[in-house]
Amino acid sequence: MSQNVVELIRRHHGVQAPSALEVLKEAVEDHGELTDDDRRRAAEVSGMPEAAVYGVSTFYDDLLVHRGERHVRVCSGTACFAATGDEHVRAIESELGVKLGERSPDGTVSLVETVCLGFCHSSPAVRDGETIDAGPGMVARVRDAGCVAAAEPPWRSLLASPVLTVAGEWAGLRRALTELGPDALLEQVEAAKVRGRGGAGFPAGTKWRFTKQAANPEKFIVANGDEGDPGSYIDKYLMEQNPNLLLEGLALAGFAVGARHGFVLTRSEYPLSKPALDEAIARAREDGWLGADILGSGFDFEVTIIEGAGSYVVGEETALLACLQGLRGTVSARPPFPAERGAFNRPTVVNNVETLCNMGFIAAHGADAYAALSPDTETNGSKLVCFNERFVSPTVYEVPFGMSVRELCEDVAGGLRDGRSIKALQIGGPLGGILPASKLDTAFDFDALAAEGCMVGHGSILAFDDQTDMREVATHLLRFGAHESCGKCFPCRIGLRRAHDEFASDQRVQRERFEQLLEALELGSLCAHGGGIPAPMRSLLAHFPDELDLT
Amino acid sequence: MSTSDQLTVTVDGVELQVAPGTTVLQAAKRAEAWIPTLCFDDRQAPFGACRVCMVAVQGAPKPLPACTTPCRDQMVIDTDDATSRRVATAVVELVVSELPQAPDPHTELGQIAERLEVTDTRWPGDTHHEGHDFRHPYLAFQHELCISCGRCVRACDEVQGAFALTATGRGFESNVTAGLNAGFEDSTCVSCGACADTCPTDAITEITLLDGVVRERSRNGNDPGRRKRRRIASE
Repeated sequence: MSQNVVELIRRHHGVQAPSALEVLKEAVEDHGELTDDDRRRAAEVSGMPEAAVYGVSTFYDDLLVHRGERHVRVCSGTACFAATGDEHVRAIESELGVKLGERSPDGTVSLVETVCLGFCHSSPAVRDGETIDAGPGMVARVRDAGCVAAAEPPWRSLLASPVLTVAGEWAGLRRALTELGPDALLEQVEAAKVRGRGGAGFPAGTKWRFTKQAANPEKFIVANGDEGDPGSYIDKYLMEQNPNLLLEGLALAGFAVGARHGFVLTRSEYPLSKPALDEAIARAREDGWLGADILGSGFDFEVTIIEGAGSYVVGEETALLACLQGLRGTVSARPPFPAERGAFNRPTVVNNVETLCNMGFIAAHGADAYAALSPDTETNGSKLVCFNERFVSPTVYEVPFGMSVRELCEDVAGGLRDGRSIKALQIGGPLGGILPASKLDTAFDFDALAAEGCMVGHGSILAFDDQTDMREVATHLLRFGAHESCGKCFPCRIGLRRAHDEFASDQRVQRERFEQLLEALELGSLCAHGGGIPAPMRSLLAHFPDELDLT
Repeated sequence: MSTSDQLTVTVDGVELQVAPGTTVLQAAKRAEAWIPTLCFDDRQAPFGACRVCMVAVQGAPKPLPACTTPCRDQMVIDTDDATSRRVATAVVELVVSELPQAPDPHTELGQIAERLEVTDTRWPGDTHHEGHDFRHPYLAFQHELCISCGRCVRACDEVQGAFALTATGRGFESNVTAGLNAGFEDSTCVSCGACADTCPTDAITEITLLDGVVRERSRNGNDPGRRKRRRIASE
């Protein structure tokens, strides 16, 4: 991330100028594709150099398409793949008469793939214009231009007193502002040992402490709502169905570290997230929970929602900050960490959405009550997990840590539908290892999953049933990995493409060469994308070598 | 901390004192240890993209990139660690695989490939699309030779302040372009040549008066000599 360009942006941001990415997104919405005039205008209003704007315009999926009058986005995420083996993608191409990434010659229809719409409970999913349709009969409805909005099943909690799945009522912020004060609040968050829910599991309190200690008095809080992990729709539920909890978490972080402005970066694949949050912000301002001098405490806090434009790696925190500022969503080497130099070159807390949603409870009830939510394990708090369409009862569930994966799959989600059985699970997203059915008694917890080469990640539990071809799974994951590589570090940029091409061919995979490549990715990659894709590949090599056609 | 504000580090058995903020790569250079780099230029902020400068640091669970890792007091660094070198070699082999031809021996990439004994690649597959910008009087761009190290973009930004260059695309399709992708001539390029000077692959080269002669001779079928000029002449 160029410090010079960020400084140019910061000055324009100070006078409320839109980012280059926002201008480019609006142009695509308005006339279907970008022109050089759009790019020049984006440069002018954002303060960015024209070349840098050109770079942005070639990075994000949403900016690359040439939209027809009817724009169809078919989900090719892992849950949709697990449901149909991508048959729905080929069927829609055939019904619409256009290939992925194309617009019909007469301009009436365009088709792109998208990963993922977060309707993994009802796969396969599609977005036709503004309507997201999913489930049986979807392809026929696309053919007939009669898509209907798919329902989202209500979430459930296994906790006697749910924490994340009940509407936020601001009790934590009230107590922090009127009783605790910023230092005691931060101490409670540190004592609660909240581990990040976005994948890395880093202690949230540590990030807050570093940011609080950073010298610059202007600081920011950023909620990472870029839940790009295919198969996961947890942050989507939180942002759209419980936005107050997230806004409260942001305000608490701001109060604890001394920031007056928070941001949420939402995904364009979740078109309902930004409107839901914007509406909640308006309500919170009316009710006095956001804005100036909250509860007469002297604490001011504002929240701005920014929507991304189609890039998985933007979920990585430095790439997220780049996107937030309207730059290419590429990863930056750390140090400097965001706590030292983040948004607009200022100290910044970047926390996952679900992580921040835990903070209201901790502020209201304290670290001990938080630890008691998961009595059977070292890990504190509750966790949201979600299941894919292969299960009998797929939705978001709030669970304590420490249950076995088998209990979650069989007792909570009801096992697989249609008499199918679990062949393997991918937990926590595409960078998580793959757990074979023989290991279902593993505990759902950070350390226990890590011991099996897996992770809690985002908390998605995605089943591949007994009819799944595991080489196709490998090819699917590598295709996603290569497409989403930001292109910054060399092992990921080139290596994932090479690995994908080998698996997608009809050739046998050269195991020795492939394992050397996995090592270079694991040890060499700049971020968890290139470093993480090898995890499921290692699992597949360990548990399903016979299906990979190795030599 | 040892004496005053200095840190004590050991590079390949050599102990030295460095100032806080010194990177492992800078310390290694002072100890005269060789670490391969592709995206690094000491006139620019470290970028951490190429991942060939990996080294072993005692106590670290895996190799670390020398260019972006700050020295800590009592750090023990091994620049010749077998695992780190294996990663660097694998990455250079991947880089060679994305180019339509072997790197020219006089380029930084060519020299590093030679030193790491990467003579060929085991990765067949797509190479970068050919694309040439030869309209500018002093600068030539051959996009198929670009390895997206970002040095030219940073030179233009950090050294010259012209902001004429940008990274483009994503993943394997990443590249670099000038302005709104219409070439150096139609960008804010000030012809300083900092991009060509730092380019490790000859994707961007300076056109000299001699090149004009070479081009002319090439048209007449004469051998133009150096490969870098021959590629330009082939347009």
